[in-house]
Amino acid sequence: MAEPVLRLIDVSKTFPGVRALSGIDFDLLPGEVHCICGENGAGKSTLIKILSGAYQPDAGGVIEFEGKPRVLNPRQAIALGIQTIYQEHNIFPHLSVTENIFAGLEIMKGLKVDFAAMREKARETLEYLHCAFGPDTLVGELKSGERKLVEIAKALVFQRKVIILDEPTASFSASEIDMLLEVVRKVVDAGIAVVYISHHLDEVFRLGGRVTVLRDGEHVLTADSRELTEAELVRSMVGRDVSAFYSRDFFPRGEVALEARNLSGNGVRDVSFKAYRGQCLGFAGMVGSGRSELMTLLMGGAKKEAGQVLVFGEEVDFRQPSAAIRRKLCFITEDRQYTGLFLKHSIGRNSFVANLVNMKRQLISPREDYAVGERYIRELGTKATSADTLAVELSGGNQQKVVLAKWFNTQGEIYIFDEPTRGIDVGAKMEIYHIMMDLMAQGKCIVMVSSDMPEIVSMSDRVIVMKGGRVAGELEREDISEENILSYSIGGVAV
Amino acid sequence: MNGGSKRSLGIFKKNSELQTVVTITVLFVAAVLLYQVVNSLVTRGFVEYPSFIYPSNLFNILQQNAAVGIMALGMTVIMLTGTIDLSVGMMTSLVAIFIAKAVMDWDVPPGMAIFYALLICVGIEMFMGFIIAWLNVESFIITLGGMIACRGIALLISNSQEVAMRQNLAWFKSNVFDLFNPEGIKVFNLKLNLPYYVILFFILTVITWAILKYTKFGRRVYAIGNNPQAAFLSGINVKLTRLMAFVFNGVCVAVGATMQLVRVNTGIITVGQNMEIDVIAAVVIGGVAMSGGKGSVMGAFIGAILMGTITNAMTIMRIQQEWQFLVKGLIIIAAVAAGAVSEMFRHRSAMRRKRTGVADTAAKA
Repeated sequence: MAEPVLRLIDVSKTFPGVRALSGIDFDLLPGEVHCICGENGAGKSTLIKILSGAYQPDAGGVIEFEGKPRVLNPRQAIALGIQTIYQEHNIFPHLSVTENIFAGLEIMKGLKVDFAAMREKARETLEYLHCAFGPDTLVGELKSGERKLVEIAKALVFQRKVIILDEPTASFSASEIDMLLEVVRKVVDAGIAVVYISHHLDEVFRLGGRVTVLRDGEHVLTADSRELTEAELVRSMVGRDVSAFYSRDFFPRGEVALEARNLSGNGVRDVSFKAYRGQCLGFAGMVGSGRSELMTLLMGGAKKEAGQVLVFGEEVDFRQPSAAIRRKLCFITEDRQYTGLFLKHSIGRNSFVANLVNMKRQLISPREDYAVGERYIRELGTKATSADTLAVELSGGNQQKVVLAKWFNTQGEIYIFDEPTRGIDVGAKMEIYHIMMDLMAQGKCIVMVSSDMPEIVSMSDRVIVMKGGRVAGELEREDISEENILSYSIGGVAV
Repeated sequence: MNGGSKRSLGIFKKNSELQTVVTITVLFVAAVLLYQVVNSLVTRGFVEYPSFIYPSNLFNILQQNAAVGIMALGMTVIMLTGTIDLSVGMMTSLVAIFIAKAVMDWDVPPGMAIFYALLICVGIEMFMGFIIAWLNVESFIITLGGMIACRGIALLISNSQEVAMRQNLAWFKSNVFDLFNPEGIKVFNLKLNLPYYVILFFILTVITWAILKYTKFGRRVYAIGNNPQAAFLSGINVKLTRLMAFVFNGVCVAVGATMQLVRVNTGIITVGQNMEIDVIAAVVIGGVAMSGGKGSVMGAFIGAILMGTITNAMTIMRIQQEWQFLVKGLIIIAAVAAGAVSEMFRHRSAMRRKRTGVADTAAKA
């Protein structure tokens, strides 16, 4: 067996409050394509960042490159020959393919850039990869699939030894996926090792190399994909300890609070659902499946193209979030810092701001928002000295409580939670769940988007699984399981 | 909860821009006093009461800065929403020329001329504000265009010539003290002069302060300046609020420009030249963040007066105009740099507190 080009031995990575990776062993042989699979949050991104030198592993972990232990930083990783191709494009759209390939690493002839040599090298490589475009094409004119090829061509030109592809096909059409897989095979033929991260299991099987599965930051298995079935792979991605689940009470289903009929817009296509009082409707799916986009659309934050939205049986057409708030909708957004909080403002101000829409009068005393802030600090158990504390000074869980206070103060009836516990430590997580339970007990309606499997399985009364902006499946309470959710979200595999 | 008085003094707390400028002002005041004392000792042989702190000179400072101060009120609101308006200086020239021309050549009564000027300012600001808010484009560029256009209009109206007035707006200069004693009130043999327009400045400051602190509009201004995305999702009409801020600024510019015309009595393109710099400087050293969402009108008010005090002190010390520019520029840089540095420290200590706070709760659990 060939000597591995890259090897991780007992690598762990801990962030404050979270263990993202624990004791991972991983090896990569020259000329193989090695796929990494796992759910959202399994540790794939962390692993890539360690391989590319962006993160340093915790003490004790060893990274070996061609048999020698190394401490990597991003520049060194590239110098050794490890090229990471991230999901976002790292390109200059106004420059040609050649210029992009050689950006920052131009071939020089004295003080002059040797453009002819660069062009020739680029042309050769593109030809080897069977690319349909030439070295002089402007990258801005290429399709997203072809842009990825430019980055792969770059890795070939500079004779990298390892290429890491992070979800390369996230926004690809079927023909672009075919093209990419073909190119990956050619790259591997040239003796380069490829690390391939993907949510799409069919790609894993089509590539046919080894697979490593991660779950909750731990190594589950490494095997040859030809010896695995899809069902086995899915099972290894989910199987989880029961203690991670939250046991909740269930309440009787009330009237329909929020309903969508064939709703389209903001990247979402033809979505229909009903959400009831006293229940939590979960939205599952891979990151980028259109769940947050759907929620923004429901709140009036984006333009509706077709279909209907009904609130308590009445058809509505929200042009702005303010209209939705008047109809008792609340939107606890995915990103507290960027779309939820006013970080430089006090807790009081933050708690008060959403209810401005519902107030008839124009005059407000600063005492009012202080009082509102103090009330919700008490009710939600926020850890803060007073309502004058600035939001920026709070921890994640307490910041989330301030966001909740903002919405409770509007006397909302329908609560849309987008990733309610992202970046929150375990203790605060439980508190947020209790608050959500209280809301359901009061007969409020909850719609929850979550990529956290235990969360969505244990909190939801029903689950809608989305894929590519559409509803891929709907699960009633007795059918909700990680296996079922995952099989819908990666494309209808029977488990 | 803190008392009201504590809060109004609190303007200096956590406002390193103002703290820095106060410190610099104190230095300048000390310098000018020393200068005057030594000067009188050398030339006359005895210590004279320094004329810098004659009440009449202090009132002078207020007069010299009332117009800039009024315009700083509007600029505060604009900058709190996270935008900026570079056109205020040239709009001042436009207003001054328009009123002078209307009153002198077109026989419009002064009151009406001022009213029309107000409409013009609000109109221009609405136009710019609309484009900035609805098309979501950089206010810096749009108002730069507005500034150049205003200059063009002003020159067109006046045929590039100055229009002298005959004290048609003298009422605004009437001395408040004349109301109490027609002879005037004298201190150190110098008549105290507090024109109505200074009083107007005070009144407008209080009104703006109240609007920002006690109204829904004020809340919205701060919210969209701090985080426009969160404000939108919290039900605030970001575009309309931005537009309203520009309208409010239009009113402030119209009033400020009229007061500037009252002082100089001539409609000429130089009336408002570079005035936007003084206005923005006052607001920035008053502690209003360029990025929006932080700062207050009282800061800008004090900022305007402090800058005026420093300028006055330098003039008394016979420092040349050229040097004055240099010093003023350095003061603005120092104030903002000090603000940024202390923000950094505060952020760091907040993070530390946050971390130990988390550790505390973890230890308890």
